[in-house]
Amino acid sequence: MAIDTDKIVHAVMHGSRIREEKGIIPLFGVYLSMIPVDFYNKISFGFEKQMQQPDEAESLLVNAAQECGYATFAGVRSSREWAEVVQPMISNDKDQIYSFVSIAIAFGWGDLGVRELIPGEKLVMRASDSYEAKGYWDAYGRADAGKCYMLRGVAAAFMDLVYGGEYPDGCFRYKALETHCQAKGDPYCEFVARKAAG
Amino acid sequence: MIVNWPEKFARKGHEIFLSGLPIALHCHHYNMNLQKTLEASLGSEGGLLIYQAAEESSYAGFTSFLRDHPRINTIKSKLELASTSFQYCGLGIINFTQIGPDGGKIASPHSHHVTGWLAKFGKRESPGCFFTRGWIGGALAVIYNKPIGYYLVKEKECKMTLARECIFEVTTV
Repeated sequence: MAIDTDKIVHAVMHGSRIREEKGIIPLFGVYLSMIPVDFYNKISFGFEKQMQQPDEAESLLVNAAQECGYATFAGVRSSREWAEVVQPMISNDKDQIYSFVSIAIAFGWGDLGVRELIPGEKLVMRASDSYEAKGYWDAYGRADAGKCYMLRGVAAAFMDLVYGGEYPDGCFRYKALETHCQAKGDPYCEFVARKAAG
Repeated sequence: MIVNWPEKFARKGHEIFLSGLPIALHCHHYNMNLQKTLEASLGSEGGLLIYQAAEESSYAGFTSFLRDHPRINTIKSKLELASTSFQYCGLGIINFTQIGPDGGKIASPHSHHVTGWLAKFGKRESPGCFFTRGWIGGALAVIYNKPIGYYLVKEKECKMTLARECIFEVTTV
Protein backbone atom coordinates (compact mmCIF):
# COMPACT_ATOMS: atom_id res chain seq x y z
CA MET A 1 0.00 0.00 0.00
CA ALA A 2 1.39 3.41 -0.93
CA ILE A 3 1.89 6.04 1.75
CA ASP A 4 -0.87 8.63 1.54
CA THR A 5 0.88 11.90 2.39
CA ASP A 6 -2.37 13.86 2.19
CA LYS A 7 -3.89 11.66 4.86
CA ILE A 8 -0.89 12.19 7.13
CA VAL A 9 -0.91 15.94 6.51
CA HIS A 10 -4.60 16.05 7.35
CA ALA A 11 -4.01 14.16 10.63
CA VAL A 12 -1.22 16.56 11.64
CA MET A 13 -3.21 19.66 10.71
CA HIS A 14 -6.24 18.40 12.60
CA GLY A 15 -4.25 17.20 15.64
CA SER A 16 -2.20 20.36 15.94
CA ARG A 17 -5.36 22.36 16.51
CA ILE A 18 -5.83 20.59 19.83
CA ARG A 19 -4.22 21.96 22.98
CA GLU A 20 -4.36 20.47 26.42
CA GLU A 21 -5.08 22.65 29.45
CA LYS A 22 -1.43 23.69 29.85
CA GLY A 23 -1.32 25.21 26.36
CA ILE A 24 0.87 22.38 25.07
CA ILE A 25 0.30 20.48 21.80
CA PRO A 26 0.84 16.77 22.40
CA LEU A 27 0.74 15.04 19.02
CA PHE A 28 2.38 11.97 17.48
CA GLY A 29 4.13 11.23 20.78
CA VAL A 30 5.90 14.60 21.13
CA TYR A 31 5.16 18.15 22.29
CA LEU A 32 4.81 20.35 19.24
CA SER A 33 5.25 24.10 18.95
CA MET A 34 4.43 26.53 16.16
CA ILE A 35 7.30 28.96 15.78
CA PRO A 36 8.17 31.19 12.80
CA VAL A 37 10.87 29.63 10.62
CA ASP A 38 12.67 32.94 10.83
CA PHE A 39 13.45 32.22 14.50
CA TYR A 40 15.16 28.93 13.68
CA ASN A 41 17.19 30.50 10.90
CA LYS A 42 18.28 33.35 13.17
CA ILE A 43 19.58 31.06 15.87
CA SER A 44 21.21 28.52 13.53
CA PHE A 45 23.00 31.01 11.33
CA GLY A 46 23.63 33.39 14.23
CA PHE A 47 25.28 30.52 16.08
CA GLU A 48 27.38 29.68 13.05
CA LYS A 49 28.54 33.29 12.73
CA GLN A 50 29.42 33.54 16.44
CA MET A 51 31.39 30.32 16.62
CA GLN A 52 35.10 30.70 15.97
CA GLN A 53 35.10 27.56 13.81
CA PRO A 54 32.14 27.43 11.41
CA ASP A 55 32.79 23.73 10.65
CA GLU A 56 32.29 22.93 14.30
CA ALA A 57 29.03 24.88 14.37
CA GLU A 58 27.81 22.99 11.32
CA SER A 59 28.66 19.67 12.89
CA LEU A 60 26.95 20.58 16.19
CA LEU A 61 23.78 21.77 14.45
CA VAL A 62 23.57 18.69 12.23
CA ASN A 63 24.15 16.40 15.22
CA ALA A 64 21.51 18.24 17.26
CA ALA A 65 19.04 17.75 14.43
CA GLN A 66 19.98 14.10 13.96
CA GLU A 67 19.57 13.29 17.65
CA CYS A 68 16.31 15.22 17.65
CA GLY A 69 15.06 13.48 14.51
CA TYR A 70 15.94 10.12 16.03
CA ALA A 71 14.09 10.84 19.30
CA THR A 72 11.21 12.65 17.62
CA PHE A 73 10.43 9.95 15.08
CA ALA A 74 10.90 7.22 17.67
CA GLY A 75 8.14 9.00 19.60
CA VAL A 76 6.12 9.41 16.43
CA ARG A 77 6.46 5.73 15.57
CA SER A 78 5.21 4.60 18.96
CA SER A 79 2.31 7.06 19.12
CA ARG A 80 -1.40 6.41 19.01
CA GLU A 81 -1.69 8.60 15.92
CA TRP A 82 0.91 6.51 14.12
CA ALA A 83 -0.92 3.30 15.00
CA GLU A 84 -4.22 4.70 13.79
CA VAL A 85 -3.22 6.68 10.71
CA VAL A 86 0.15 5.52 9.46
CA GLN A 87 0.69 1.91 10.49
CA PRO A 88 -2.12 0.57 8.28
CA MET A 89 -0.28 1.98 5.23
CA ILE A 90 3.03 0.33 6.07
CA SER A 91 4.03 -2.99 4.62
CA ASN A 92 7.84 -2.84 4.69
CA ASP A 93 10.87 -0.90 5.96
CA LYS A 94 10.90 1.44 3.00
CA ASP A 95 7.35 2.49 3.79
CA GLN A 96 8.52 3.65 7.22
CA ILE A 97 11.01 6.02 5.60
CA TYR A 98 8.35 7.31 3.20
CA SER A 99 6.02 7.84 6.16
CA PHE A 100 8.66 9.77 8.09
CA VAL A 101 9.15 12.01 5.07
CA SER A 102 5.39 12.57 4.82
CA ILE A 103 5.25 13.57 8.48
CA ALA A 104 8.18 15.97 7.99
CA ILE A 105 6.25 17.55 5.10
CA ALA A 106 3.20 17.79 7.36
CA PHE A 107 5.34 19.57 9.99
CA GLY A 108 6.20 22.24 7.41
CA TRP A 109 9.85 21.27 7.03
CA GLY A 110 9.86 21.47 3.22
CA ASP A 111 8.60 19.88 0.02
CA LEU A 112 10.58 16.73 0.64
CA GLY A 113 10.75 13.73 -1.63
CA VAL A 114 12.67 10.47 -1.66
CA ARG A 115 14.76 10.21 -4.82
CA GLU A 116 16.47 6.94 -3.99
CA LEU A 117 16.28 4.43 -1.17
CA ILE A 118 18.47 1.36 -0.99
CA PRO A 119 17.43 -0.45 2.20
CA GLY A 120 20.16 -0.31 4.82
CA GLU A 121 22.56 1.47 2.47
CA LYS A 122 21.48 4.80 1.14
CA LEU A 123 18.75 7.42 1.28
CA VAL A 124 18.63 10.33 -1.14
CA MET A 125 16.12 12.98 -0.10
CA ARG A 126 15.48 16.17 -2.02
CA ALA A 127 13.72 19.50 -1.34
CA SER A 128 13.16 22.33 -3.74
CA ASP A 129 11.92 24.69 -1.04
CA SER A 130 13.80 24.41 2.24
CA TYR A 131 13.20 27.18 4.77
CA GLU A 132 16.82 26.91 5.85
CA ALA A 133 18.25 27.45 2.36
CA LYS A 134 15.80 30.24 1.62
CA GLY A 135 16.45 31.89 5.00
CA TYR A 136 20.21 31.84 4.50
CA TRP A 137 19.97 33.19 0.97
CA ASP A 138 17.65 36.00 2.04
CA ALA A 139 19.79 37.02 5.02
CA TYR A 140 23.32 36.51 3.77
CA GLY A 141 23.27 35.85 0.03
CA ARG A 142 24.96 32.95 -1.73
CA ALA A 143 26.56 30.38 0.58
CA ASP A 144 29.74 28.49 -0.08
CA ALA A 145 28.42 25.28 1.53
CA GLY A 146 25.10 23.58 2.27
CA LYS A 147 23.02 25.32 4.95
CA CYS A 148 20.14 22.92 5.61
CA TYR A 149 21.51 21.55 8.87
CA MET A 150 18.16 20.42 10.23
CA LEU A 151 17.12 18.46 7.13
CA ARG A 152 20.58 16.97 6.79
CA GLY A 153 20.50 15.60 10.33
CA VAL A 154 16.94 14.39 9.92
CA ALA A 155 17.77 12.43 6.72
CA ALA A 156 20.41 10.46 8.64
CA ALA A 157 18.03 10.01 11.60
CA PHE A 158 15.43 8.36 9.35
CA MET A 159 18.00 5.74 8.33
CA ASP A 160 19.19 5.36 11.95
CA LEU A 161 15.67 4.57 13.08
CA VAL A 162 14.84 2.05 10.39
CA TYR A 163 18.20 0.40 9.74
CA GLY A 164 20.39 1.41 12.70
CA GLY A 165 19.30 -1.28 15.13
CA GLU A 166 17.25 -1.17 18.30
CA TYR A 167 16.19 2.19 19.72
CA PRO A 168 17.87 3.96 21.53
CA ASP A 169 21.22 2.51 20.45
CA GLY A 170 21.04 3.28 16.74
CA CYS A 171 21.58 7.03 16.63
CA PHE A 172 24.52 8.25 14.49
CA ARG A 173 24.92 4.89 12.71
CA TYR A 174 24.25 6.88 9.53
CA LYS A 175 25.65 10.18 8.40
CA ALA A 176 24.21 12.54 5.80
CA LEU A 177 25.81 15.03 3.47
CA GLU A 178 24.07 17.86 1.68
CA THR A 179 25.30 17.44 -1.88
CA HIS A 180 23.25 20.29 -3.34
CA CYS A 181 21.78 23.33 -1.64
CA GLN A 182 19.72 26.21 -2.95
CA ALA A 183 21.67 28.51 -0.62
CA LYS A 184 24.68 27.77 -2.88
CA GLY A 185 22.64 28.50 -5.99
CA ASP A 186 21.78 24.86 -6.77
CA PRO A 187 18.30 24.20 -8.16
CA TYR A 188 17.37 22.06 -5.16
CA CYS A 189 18.70 20.77 -1.86
CA GLU A 190 19.70 17.13 -1.75
CA PHE A 191 20.70 14.98 1.20
CA VAL A 192 22.49 11.66 0.91
CA ALA A 193 22.54 9.47 4.01
CA ARG A 194 24.85 6.45 4.19
CA LYS A 195 26.33 4.29 6.93
CA ALA A 196 28.77 6.24 9.05
CA ALA A 197 32.41 5.21 8.77
CA GLY A 198 33.76 3.11 11.63
CA MET B 1 -12.29 41.04 19.81
CA ILE B 2 -11.88 37.26 19.85
CA VAL B 3 -9.34 35.92 17.39
CA ASN B 4 -10.30 32.73 15.61
CA TRP B 5 -6.85 31.15 15.70
CA PRO B 6 -7.69 27.95 13.80
CA GLU B 7 -8.79 30.20 10.94
CA LYS B 8 -5.34 31.82 10.95
CA PHE B 9 -3.57 28.46 10.73
CA ALA B 10 -3.34 27.43 7.10
CA ARG B 11 -1.36 25.40 4.60
CA LYS B 12 -0.27 26.30 1.13
CA GLY B 13 1.17 23.10 -0.27
CA HIS B 14 4.08 22.09 1.91
CA GLU B 15 4.24 25.41 3.79
CA ILE B 16 2.38 26.26 7.00
CA PHE B 17 1.36 29.78 7.90
CA LEU B 18 0.00 31.35 11.04
CA SER B 19 -1.69 34.59 10.19
CA GLY B 20 0.40 34.84 7.03
CA LEU B 21 3.80 34.16 8.64
CA PRO B 22 5.64 30.99 7.66
CA ILE B 23 6.01 28.67 10.62
CA ALA B 24 7.23 25.15 11.27
CA LEU B 25 6.03 22.56 13.69
CA HIS B 26 8.99 21.46 15.75
CA CYS B 27 8.93 19.38 18.86
CA HIS B 28 10.58 19.69 22.25
CA HIS B 29 13.44 17.40 21.21
CA TYR B 30 14.61 19.87 18.57
CA ASN B 31 13.90 23.04 20.53
CA MET B 32 15.68 21.78 23.64
CA ASN B 33 18.58 20.28 21.69
CA LEU B 34 19.17 23.58 19.94
CA GLN B 35 19.11 25.44 23.25
CA LYS B 36 21.50 22.97 24.87
CA THR B 37 23.87 23.13 21.89
CA LEU B 38 23.94 26.93 21.94
CA GLU B 39 24.42 27.16 25.69
CA ALA B 40 27.10 24.45 25.76
CA SER B 41 29.07 26.14 22.99
CA LEU B 42 28.57 29.84 23.67
CA GLY B 43 27.61 29.99 27.36
CA SER B 44 25.45 32.99 28.21
CA GLU B 45 25.86 34.30 24.66
CA GLY B 46 23.94 31.23 23.48
CA GLY B 47 21.00 32.15 25.70
CA LEU B 48 21.22 35.73 24.48
CA LEU B 49 21.09 34.56 20.87
CA ILE B 50 17.85 32.68 21.58
CA TYR B 51 16.44 35.68 23.48
CA GLN B 52 17.20 38.10 20.66
CA ALA B 53 15.94 35.79 17.90
CA ALA B 54 12.68 35.23 19.80
CA GLU B 55 12.34 38.96 20.46
CA GLU B 56 12.82 39.83 16.77
CA SER B 57 10.50 37.06 15.66
CA SER B 58 7.76 38.02 18.09
CA TYR B 59 8.16 41.73 17.30
CA ALA B 60 7.78 41.05 13.56
CA GLY B 61 4.86 38.67 14.12
CA PHE B 62 2.83 41.00 16.32
CA THR B 63 3.55 44.02 14.15
CA SER B 64 2.24 42.15 11.12
CA PHE B 65 -0.75 40.72 12.96
CA LEU B 66 -1.90 44.03 14.42
CA ARG B 67 -1.46 45.78 11.07
CA ASP B 68 -3.87 43.25 9.59
CA HIS B 69 -6.30 43.51 12.53
CA PRO B 70 -6.83 47.22 13.24
CA ARG B 71 -9.86 46.47 15.42
CA ILE B 72 -7.52 45.06 18.05
CA ASN B 73 -6.59 48.53 19.22
CA THR B 74 -6.73 48.65 23.00
CA ILE B 75 -3.90 47.62 25.32
CA LYS B 76 -6.19 45.14 27.00
CA SER B 77 -7.16 43.44 23.75
CA LYS B 78 -3.55 43.39 22.56
CA LEU B 79 -2.40 41.75 25.79
CA GLU B 80 -5.18 39.22 25.42
CA LEU B 81 -4.04 38.58 21.86
CA ALA B 82 -0.51 37.94 23.10
CA SER B 83 -1.74 35.52 25.73
CA THR B 84 -3.97 33.56 23.37
CA SER B 85 -1.37 33.42 20.61
CA PHE B 86 1.20 32.01 23.08
CA GLN B 87 -1.29 29.31 23.93
CA TYR B 88 -2.38 28.64 20.36
CA CYS B 89 1.23 28.16 19.27
CA GLY B 90 1.61 25.43 21.87
CA LEU B 91 4.01 27.58 23.87
CA GLY B 92 2.02 27.38 27.09
CA ILE B 93 0.12 29.71 29.40
CA ILE B 94 1.17 33.26 30.11
CA ASN B 95 -0.54 35.85 32.32
CA PHE B 96 -0.18 39.56 31.63
CA THR B 97 -2.02 40.76 34.72
CA GLN B 98 0.68 42.93 36.32
CA ILE B 99 2.13 44.72 33.35
CA GLY B 100 2.12 48.31 32.10
CA PRO B 101 4.05 50.53 29.68
CA ASP B 102 6.95 50.82 32.16
CA GLY B 103 7.18 47.10 32.77
CA GLY B 104 5.98 44.83 35.53
CA LYS B 105 5.73 41.16 36.28
CA ILE B 106 4.51 38.26 34.16
CA ALA B 107 3.79 34.72 35.30
CA SER B 108 3.79 31.54 33.26
CA PRO B 109 2.53 28.44 35.05
CA HIS B 110 3.15 26.11 32.10
CA SER B 111 5.25 26.25 28.95
CA HIS B 112 6.48 24.15 26.06
CA HIS B 113 10.07 24.95 26.91
CA VAL B 114 9.74 24.04 30.59
CA THR B 115 7.85 20.82 29.86
CA GLY B 116 10.30 19.94 27.09
CA TRP B 117 13.44 20.73 29.07
CA LEU B 118 12.33 18.79 32.15
CA ALA B 119 11.23 15.82 30.01
CA LYS B 120 14.49 15.73 28.10
CA PHE B 121 17.18 16.93 30.48
CA GLY B 122 15.63 17.25 33.94
CA LYS B 123 16.16 20.02 36.48
CA ARG B 124 18.35 22.99 35.64
CA GLU B 125 20.43 24.93 38.11
CA SER B 126 19.64 28.31 36.55
CA PRO B 127 16.62 29.83 34.76
CA GLY B 128 16.41 28.71 31.15
CA CYS B 129 13.36 30.27 29.46
CA PHE B 130 15.35 32.40 27.00
CA PHE B 131 12.79 31.94 24.26
CA THR B 132 9.87 33.08 26.42
CA ARG B 133 11.83 36.07 27.72
CA GLY B 134 12.57 37.27 24.20
CA TRP B 135 9.06 36.50 23.03
CA ILE B 136 7.63 38.66 25.85
CA GLY B 137 10.02 41.54 25.12
CA GLY B 138 9.10 41.62 21.43
CA ALA B 139 5.36 41.35 22.06
CA LEU B 140 5.33 44.12 24.71
CA ALA B 141 7.33 46.47 22.49
CA VAL B 142 4.65 46.17 19.81
CA ILE B 143 1.76 46.38 22.27
CA TYR B 144 3.08 49.59 23.90
CA ASN B 145 4.29 51.02 20.59
CA LYS B 146 7.97 51.00 21.52
CA PRO B 147 11.03 50.08 19.45
CA ILE B 148 12.42 46.58 19.59
CA GLY B 149 14.79 46.20 22.52
CA TYR B 150 12.92 48.75 24.61
CA TYR B 151 12.14 46.19 27.30
CA LEU B 152 14.52 43.99 29.22
CA VAL B 153 12.96 40.74 30.38
CA LYS B 154 14.62 38.78 33.18
CA GLU B 155 13.47 35.49 34.59
CA LYS B 156 13.37 35.71 38.38
CA GLU B 157 11.98 32.22 38.98
CA CYS B 158 11.92 29.29 36.59
CA LYS B 159 10.08 26.00 36.61
CA MET B 160 13.11 24.41 34.95
CA THR B 161 14.77 24.86 38.36
CA LEU B 162 11.61 23.40 39.93
CA ALA B 163 10.12 26.74 41.01
CA ARG B 164 6.32 26.76 41.25
CA GLU B 165 5.98 28.87 38.10
CA CYS B 166 8.10 31.02 35.85
CA ILE B 167 8.17 34.68 36.89
CA PHE B 168 9.46 37.28 34.46
CA GLU B 169 10.41 40.81 35.46
CA VAL B 170 10.05 43.43 32.75
CA THR B 171 11.92 46.73 32.94
CA THR B 172 12.80 49.40 30.41
CA VAL B 173 16.34 49.50 29.10
